[in-house]
Amino acid sequence: MAAVTAVGVSGAWLSAARGAEAGHLMCVTDAVSERLAELQLTLGEGPGLDAVESGGPVLASDLDQRDAARRWPVYAPAARQAGAAAIFAFPLRIGAIRAGVMALYRGHPGPLSASHLGDSLIFADTATLLLLDAQDWADCPPAGPGPGGQPADLVLHRAEIDQATGMLTEQLGVGIADAFIRLRAYAYAHDQRLVDVARDIVARRLRLRPDRDPSMGGQA
Amino acid sequence: MDGQLLSKTFVELTDTMVADFDVIDFLHVLTDRSVLLLNVSAAGLLLADPRGELRVVAASSEAARLLELFQLQNDQGPCLDCFRTGHLVTAPDLTAAVQRWPRFAAAAQQAGFAAVQALPMRMREQVIGALNLFRATPGAFPPTDIQIGQALADVATISLLHERSMRHSDTLNEQLQTALNSRVVIEQAKGKLAERYGLDMDQAFRLLRDHARSHNLRLADTAQALIDGTTTLRA
Repeated sequence: MAAVTAVGVSGAWLSAARGAEAGHLMCVTDAVSERLAELQLTLGEGPGLDAVESGGPVLASDLDQRDAARRWPVYAPAARQAGAAAIFAFPLRIGAIRAGVMALYRGHPGPLSASHLGDSLIFADTATLLLLDAQDWADCPPAGPGPGGQPADLVLHRAEIDQATGMLTEQLGVGIADAFIRLRAYAYAHDQRLVDVARDIVARRLRLRPDRDPSMGGQA
Repeated sequence: MDGQLLSKTFVELTDTMVADFDVIDFLHVLTDRSVLLLNVSAAGLLLADPRGELRVVAASSEAARLLELFQLQNDQGPCLDCFRTGHLVTAPDLTAAVQRWPRFAAAAQQAGFAAVQALPMRMREQVIGALNLFRATPGAFPPTDIQIGQALADVATISLLHERSMRHSDTLNEQLQTALNSRVVIEQAKGKLAERYGLDMDQAFRLLRDHARSHNLRLADTAQALIDGTTTLRA
């Protein structure tokens, strides 16, 4: 994964999950990451699990520190033994939409620099979208310009997009992840910016119907 | 200046030491109090995420126009200037600020505001965000109000830290991102409630907040439970 070299870490792993349950491992960059992911599942504790629960990143820059031992009394020493001195876990989420977790590890301790943290968050956002796109939503083609293409209008967060997503759960009678997928699919099918579609929905100029075909789902 | 309300606000800061403290709700209370204590029309707390984007975490009103004024300031405006310099930024008359921030000044005036101020939220040398204040009438912000405003901004900063002593930036970054993600969950929940019950965003937010408080739950947790379908709210 590009993330590893870009943010100065030794390796990474990514788990996908739909909802709150522990995810299944989707990719690892090396044997150490695989071991670290495995350990979390067997021991039932670790930064990745905390990140999923808290909804925010868990940045353990030194697993030898007292803080780490307090938080993960069994996992921290086991992770050290496996070769990790620092672990940075990022939940892959858009609010209540949970796609999984991405974790990075380093063989030597030290915090992520501000710019590496920023980059990691961008990678996390991209990974979230890729996981959502990859989900098997039978009646809807993947939205957006395809894997690897980060839609420009998701770079800045807009409250309207989140509100519209919530509104769609009611309009379409679907879960939050599917609501978001449908919103993106509509924007893509109509060649509109996501934020513009969201604004129309929030202003009630546009309603989506629970149709199978997203390009037919709008009514102005 | 309501001295009692001021004292009350500061005393509530000690609640941040309690385990079940809801920082999101507290930040909302703080922005509401800012409006009363500082005699302004609207207030918002913005935090910078590590990518440098300024994001709203709490506002005294959920009106779309107001939220838009905050979001706009990623390009230009008092909050951006405040965030970059770490200093107070003030515009007592927006008509005179048109050169400074052409798009922002126009939008703010259209929304009915005539004066604006941004106070930095600082954590040691780092600026983590800003307290943004709007007034409907032009005029300078009195020095006492500026002092109190800065104190409120400092209270907001402190409330984000669950531990008194912060040895490194990890904790702050974790808290910031969690707070920002919580805001997203809340926005999603607002949308869901607004659609389900035919409410505007302010009403939807208040419904969510009332439910959280009466059930002694965190705002963000209530929002999450609503979306997951594990809780029901009645309008």
